[in-house]
Amino acid sequence: MEGLGFAPKIVAFCCQYCAYNAADLAGSMRLQYSPYVRIIRLLCTGKIDSLYILKAFEEGADAVFVAG
Amino acid sequence: MIVGERKPLSEIQEMLKGYKKVMVLGCRTCVAVCMAGGDKEVELLGSLLRIAATKDGSRLEVVEDAVERQCDREYIEPIREKVAACDAVLSMACGCGVQFMAELYADKPVLPAINTNFIGVTESTGVWTERCGQCGNCVLHLTGGICPIARCSKSLLNGPCGGSQNGKCEISPDVDCGWQLIYNRMKQLGQLEKLAEVIPAKDWTTSRDGGPRKIVREDVKI
Repeated sequence: MEGLGFAPKIVAFCCQYCAYNAADLAGSMRLQYSPYVRIIRLLCTGKIDSLYILKAFEEGADAVFVAG
Repeated sequence: MIVGERKPLSEIQEMLKGYKKVMVLGCRTCVAVCMAGGDKEVELLGSLLRIAATKDGSRLEVVEDAVERQCDREYIEPIREKVAACDAVLSMACGCGVQFMAELYADKPVLPAINTNFIGVTESTGVWTERCGQCGNCVLHLTGGICPIARCSKSLLNGPCGGSQNGKCEISPDVDCGWQLIYNRMKQLGQLEKLAEVIPAKDWTTSRDGGPRKIVREDVKI
Protein backbone atom coordinates (compact mmCIF):
# COMPACT_ATOMS: atom_id res chain seq x y z
CA MET A 1 0.00 0.00 0.00
CA GLU A 2 2.98 2.28 0.57
CA GLY A 3 3.37 2.67 -3.20
CA LEU A 4 -0.05 4.32 -3.44
CA GLY A 5 1.11 7.44 -1.66
CA PHE A 6 -2.00 7.55 0.52
CA ALA A 7 -3.76 5.44 3.11
CA PRO A 8 -6.70 3.87 1.30
CA LYS A 9 -9.92 2.97 3.04
CA ILE A 10 -10.83 -0.57 2.06
CA VAL A 11 -14.09 -2.06 3.22
CA ALA A 12 -14.41 -5.84 3.33
CA PHE A 13 -17.83 -7.43 3.65
CA CYS A 14 -17.09 -10.89 5.03
CA CYS A 15 -19.29 -13.91 5.57
CA GLN A 16 -19.08 -14.92 9.22
CA TYR A 17 -18.84 -18.59 8.33
CA CYS A 18 -15.81 -18.44 6.07
CA ALA A 19 -13.99 -15.20 5.19
CA TYR A 20 -14.57 -13.62 8.61
CA ASN A 21 -13.33 -16.80 10.30
CA ALA A 22 -10.33 -16.77 7.98
CA ALA A 23 -9.51 -13.22 9.07
CA ASP A 24 -9.99 -14.28 12.69
CA LEU A 25 -7.70 -17.26 12.17
CA ALA A 26 -5.13 -14.99 10.51
CA GLY A 27 -5.15 -12.99 13.74
CA SER A 28 -4.75 -16.15 15.87
CA MET A 29 -1.84 -17.20 13.70
CA ARG A 30 -0.28 -13.75 14.05
CA LEU A 31 -0.45 -13.31 10.28
CA GLN A 32 -0.46 -9.72 9.13
CA TYR A 33 -2.97 -8.27 6.75
CA SER A 34 -3.30 -4.71 5.57
CA PRO A 35 -4.31 -2.29 8.34
CA TYR A 36 -6.28 -0.34 5.74
CA VAL A 37 -8.92 -3.06 5.54
CA ARG A 38 -12.01 -2.53 7.64
CA ILE A 39 -14.04 -5.67 8.03
CA ILE A 40 -17.82 -5.73 8.22
CA ARG A 41 -19.20 -9.08 9.22
CA LEU A 42 -22.27 -10.39 7.44
CA LEU A 43 -24.24 -13.44 8.50
CA CYS A 44 -23.89 -14.56 4.91
CA THR A 45 -22.61 -12.73 1.83
CA GLY A 46 -25.96 -13.64 0.32
CA LYS A 47 -27.09 -10.65 2.40
CA ILE A 48 -24.90 -8.29 0.41
CA ASP A 49 -26.85 -5.57 -1.31
CA SER A 50 -25.65 -3.20 -4.02
CA LEU A 51 -26.69 -0.41 -1.64
CA TYR A 52 -24.16 -1.56 1.00
CA ILE A 53 -21.41 -1.25 -1.59
CA LEU A 54 -22.61 2.12 -2.84
CA LYS A 55 -22.96 3.47 0.70
CA ALA A 56 -19.39 2.41 1.47
CA PHE A 57 -18.16 4.38 -1.56
CA GLU A 58 -20.42 7.29 -0.64
CA GLU A 59 -18.83 7.39 2.81
CA GLY A 60 -15.37 7.56 1.31
CA ALA A 61 -14.20 4.00 0.74
CA ASP A 62 -11.53 3.70 -1.95
CA ALA A 63 -12.28 0.03 -2.53
CA VAL A 64 -14.82 -2.52 -1.43
CA PHE A 65 -14.54 -6.27 -1.52
CA VAL A 66 -16.95 -9.00 -0.68
CA ALA A 67 -15.55 -12.24 0.64
CA GLY A 68 -17.56 -15.33 1.31
CA MET B 1 -48.66 -3.31 -14.89
CA ILE B 2 -46.82 -0.44 -16.50
CA VAL B 3 -43.27 -1.52 -17.20
CA GLY B 4 -40.44 0.97 -17.23
CA GLU B 5 -36.69 1.11 -17.19
CA ARG B 6 -34.39 3.62 -15.56
CA LYS B 7 -32.68 6.06 -17.87
CA PRO B 8 -28.88 5.91 -18.09
CA LEU B 9 -27.17 7.79 -15.26
CA SER B 10 -25.41 10.15 -17.72
CA GLU B 11 -28.78 11.27 -19.12
CA ILE B 12 -30.15 11.87 -15.63
CA GLN B 13 -27.03 13.82 -14.63
CA GLU B 14 -27.43 16.01 -17.72
CA MET B 15 -31.05 16.75 -16.72
CA LEU B 16 -30.00 17.70 -13.20
CA LYS B 17 -27.31 20.17 -14.24
CA GLY B 18 -27.76 23.47 -12.45
CA TYR B 19 -29.93 22.11 -9.64
CA LYS B 20 -28.51 22.11 -6.13
CA LYS B 21 -31.16 20.18 -4.24
CA VAL B 22 -33.16 17.45 -5.92
CA MET B 23 -35.85 15.13 -4.65
CA VAL B 24 -35.70 11.60 -6.07
CA LEU B 25 -39.29 10.43 -5.80
CA GLY B 26 -40.22 6.80 -6.25
CA CYS B 27 -43.57 5.20 -6.93
CA ARG B 28 -44.49 2.05 -5.03
CA THR B 29 -46.86 0.58 -7.59
CA CYS B 30 -46.05 -0.62 -11.14
CA VAL B 31 -42.48 0.64 -11.41
CA ALA B 32 -41.67 -0.83 -7.99
CA VAL B 33 -42.83 -4.25 -9.16
CA CYS B 34 -40.73 -4.05 -12.32
CA MET B 35 -37.78 -2.90 -10.20
CA ALA B 36 -37.34 0.42 -11.96
CA GLY B 37 -38.60 3.11 -9.59
CA GLY B 38 -39.61 1.80 -6.16
CA ASP B 39 -38.03 2.54 -2.75
CA LYS B 40 -34.99 0.40 -3.47
CA GLU B 41 -34.29 2.04 -6.81
CA VAL B 42 -34.71 5.49 -5.23
CA GLU B 43 -32.00 4.64 -2.71
CA LEU B 44 -29.73 3.26 -5.43
CA LEU B 45 -30.17 6.27 -7.70
CA GLY B 46 -29.77 8.69 -4.80
CA SER B 47 -26.53 7.03 -3.83
CA LEU B 48 -25.25 6.97 -7.43
CA LEU B 49 -26.06 10.66 -7.88
CA ARG B 50 -24.25 11.61 -4.67
CA ILE B 51 -21.18 9.57 -5.63
CA ALA B 52 -21.21 11.07 -9.14
CA ALA B 53 -21.53 14.61 -7.74
CA THR B 54 -18.64 14.04 -5.31
CA LYS B 55 -16.56 12.69 -8.20
CA ASP B 56 -17.38 15.70 -10.38
CA GLY B 57 -16.74 18.08 -7.53
CA SER B 58 -20.24 19.50 -7.99
CA ARG B 59 -22.62 20.17 -5.15
CA LEU B 60 -25.84 18.20 -5.19
CA GLU B 61 -28.09 17.47 -2.27
CA VAL B 62 -30.33 14.49 -2.89
CA VAL B 63 -33.52 13.95 -0.91
CA GLU B 64 -35.06 10.49 -1.24
CA ASP B 65 -38.74 9.71 -0.92
CA ALA B 66 -41.42 7.48 -2.39
CA VAL B 67 -45.20 7.48 -2.44
CA GLU B 68 -47.75 4.75 -2.94
CA ARG B 69 -48.75 6.04 -6.38
CA GLN B 70 -47.81 9.22 -8.22
CA CYS B 71 -50.93 8.90 -10.40
CA ASP B 72 -53.26 9.60 -7.47
CA ARG B 73 -53.56 13.08 -6.02
CA GLU B 74 -54.07 11.93 -2.44
CA TYR B 75 -50.60 10.38 -2.37
CA ILE B 76 -48.67 13.26 -3.90
CA GLU B 77 -50.34 16.12 -2.07
CA PRO B 78 -48.91 15.27 1.38
CA ILE B 79 -45.31 15.75 0.16
CA ARG B 80 -45.91 19.41 -0.71
CA GLU B 81 -43.49 20.77 1.90
CA LYS B 82 -40.71 18.41 0.89
CA VAL B 83 -41.18 19.32 -2.78
CA ALA B 84 -41.15 23.03 -1.95
CA ALA B 85 -37.76 22.63 -0.26
CA CYS B 86 -36.15 21.23 -3.43
CA ASP B 87 -35.09 22.86 -6.71
CA ALA B 88 -36.47 20.00 -8.80
CA VAL B 89 -38.16 16.63 -8.52
CA LEU B 90 -36.68 13.63 -10.28
CA SER B 91 -39.63 11.31 -10.58
CA MET B 92 -39.04 7.59 -10.82
CA ALA B 93 -42.68 6.95 -11.71
CA CYS B 94 -44.02 6.15 -15.17
CA GLY B 95 -44.88 8.99 -17.54
CA CYS B 96 -48.27 9.35 -15.85
CA GLY B 97 -46.71 9.96 -12.46
CA VAL B 98 -44.23 12.48 -13.82
CA GLN B 99 -47.02 14.42 -15.52
CA PHE B 100 -49.35 14.33 -12.54
CA MET B 101 -46.57 15.59 -10.28
CA ALA B 102 -45.80 18.36 -12.79
CA GLU B 103 -49.48 19.25 -12.89
CA LEU B 104 -49.81 19.49 -9.12
CA TYR B 105 -46.47 21.22 -8.60
CA ALA B 106 -46.67 23.59 -11.54
CA ASP B 107 -43.88 25.85 -10.27
CA LYS B 108 -41.41 23.00 -9.83
CA PRO B 109 -39.45 21.26 -12.59
CA VAL B 110 -40.44 17.57 -12.56
CA LEU B 111 -38.00 15.41 -14.49
CA PRO B 112 -38.33 11.80 -15.65
CA ALA B 113 -35.81 9.25 -14.40
CA ILE B 114 -37.63 6.37 -16.07
CA ASN B 115 -38.48 5.45 -19.64
CA THR B 116 -42.03 4.11 -19.68
CA ASN B 117 -42.03 1.13 -22.02
CA PHE B 118 -45.25 -0.88 -22.07
CA ILE B 119 -48.10 -2.59 -20.25
CA GLY B 120 -46.89 -6.07 -19.56
CA VAL B 121 -46.32 -8.98 -17.25
CA THR B 122 -43.45 -10.47 -15.26
CA GLU B 123 -42.58 -13.58 -17.26
CA SER B 124 -39.87 -14.56 -14.81
CA THR B 125 -37.64 -12.67 -12.40
CA GLY B 126 -36.06 -9.86 -14.38
CA VAL B 127 -38.03 -10.55 -17.56
CA TRP B 128 -41.02 -8.43 -18.50
CA THR B 129 -42.96 -8.65 -21.74
CA GLU B 130 -45.65 -6.60 -23.41
CA ARG B 131 -49.20 -7.90 -23.36
CA CYS B 132 -51.67 -5.07 -23.97
CA GLY B 133 -51.78 -2.37 -26.64
CA GLN B 134 -54.45 -0.33 -24.82
CA CYS B 135 -56.55 -0.14 -27.98
CA GLY B 136 -59.69 0.55 -25.97
CA ASN B 137 -61.72 -2.18 -27.67
CA CYS B 138 -60.64 -5.60 -26.46
CA VAL B 139 -60.71 -8.54 -28.87
CA LEU B 140 -59.14 -11.17 -26.59
CA HIS B 141 -62.36 -13.23 -26.68
CA LEU B 142 -61.84 -13.72 -30.41
CA THR B 143 -58.16 -14.61 -30.26
CA GLY B 144 -57.82 -17.15 -27.49
CA GLY B 145 -56.76 -14.64 -24.86
CA ILE B 146 -53.70 -13.55 -26.82
CA CYS B 147 -53.66 -9.96 -28.02
CA PRO B 148 -53.06 -9.56 -31.76
CA ILE B 149 -52.46 -5.83 -31.28
CA ALA B 150 -49.66 -6.21 -28.74
CA ARG B 151 -48.27 -9.62 -29.65
CA CYS B 152 -48.23 -9.37 -33.47
CA SER B 153 -45.51 -7.00 -34.69
CA LYS B 154 -47.90 -5.67 -37.33
CA SER B 155 -50.95 -5.70 -35.03
CA LEU B 156 -52.78 -7.77 -37.64
CA LEU B 157 -56.36 -8.67 -36.78
CA ASN B 158 -56.30 -11.58 -39.19
CA GLY B 159 -52.96 -13.31 -39.21
CA PRO B 160 -50.46 -14.70 -39.52
CA CYS B 161 -48.62 -12.90 -42.30
CA GLY B 162 -45.99 -14.36 -44.61
CA GLY B 163 -43.28 -13.31 -42.19
CA SER B 164 -44.22 -16.06 -39.73
CA GLN B 165 -41.53 -18.75 -39.84
CA ASN B 166 -41.50 -21.80 -37.58
CA GLY B 167 -43.56 -19.97 -34.99
CA LYS B 168 -41.28 -16.93 -34.94
CA CYS B 169 -41.77 -13.42 -36.26
CA GLU B 170 -39.67 -12.14 -39.13
CA ILE B 171 -38.47 -9.17 -37.06
CA SER B 172 -36.39 -11.44 -34.81
CA PRO B 173 -35.93 -15.14 -34.13
CA ASP B 174 -36.42 -14.23 -30.46
CA VAL B 175 -39.95 -12.94 -31.03
CA ASP B 176 -42.84 -15.38 -31.14
CA CYS B 177 -45.32 -14.93 -33.95
CA GLY B 178 -48.41 -13.62 -32.13
CA TRP B 179 -50.71 -15.32 -34.58
CA GLN B 180 -48.94 -18.66 -34.19
CA LEU B 181 -49.57 -18.30 -30.45
CA ILE B 182 -53.22 -17.50 -31.17
CA TYR B 183 -53.51 -20.53 -33.48
CA ASN B 184 -51.93 -22.85 -30.90
CA ARG B 185 -54.20 -21.60 -28.14
CA MET B 186 -57.36 -21.83 -30.23
CA LYS B 187 -56.38 -25.38 -31.20
CA GLN B 188 -55.88 -26.21 -27.53
CA LEU B 189 -59.33 -24.80 -26.77
CA GLY B 190 -60.87 -26.76 -29.65
CA GLN B 191 -62.04 -23.50 -31.21
CA LEU B 192 -60.02 -23.43 -34.43
CA GLU B 193 -63.19 -22.93 -36.47
CA LYS B 194 -63.54 -19.47 -34.90
CA LEU B 195 -60.39 -18.40 -36.70
CA ALA B 196 -62.18 -18.89 -40.03
CA GLU B 197 -64.25 -15.84 -39.17
CA VAL B 198 -62.67 -12.66 -40.45
CA ILE B 199 -62.32 -10.01 -37.78
CA PRO B 200 -63.55 -6.76 -39.35
CA ALA B 201 -61.36 -3.67 -39.55
CA LYS B 202 -61.04 -2.09 -36.13
CA ASP B 203 -62.31 1.33 -35.16
CA TRP B 204 -59.09 2.86 -33.89
CA THR B 205 -60.75 5.97 -32.49
CA THR B 206 -60.92 4.13 -29.15
CA SER B 207 -57.13 3.91 -29.31
CA ARG B 208 -54.67 6.77 -29.68
CA ASP B 209 -56.17 7.68 -33.07
CA GLY B 210 -59.06 9.27 -31.26
CA GLY B 211 -56.76 11.65 -29.36
CA PRO B 212 -56.10 11.66 -25.60
CA ARG B 213 -58.60 9.41 -23.90
CA LYS B 214 -60.81 10.07 -20.92
CA ILE B 215 -63.25 8.04 -18.88
CA VAL B 216 -65.89 9.72 -16.75
CA ARG B 217 -67.90 7.50 -14.42
CA GLU B 218 -70.89 9.46 -13.16
CA ASP B 219 -71.73 6.68 -10.69
CA VAL B 220 -68.49 7.07 -8.80
CA LYS B 221 -67.83 10.78 -9.25
CA ILE B 222 -67.85 12.91 -6.12
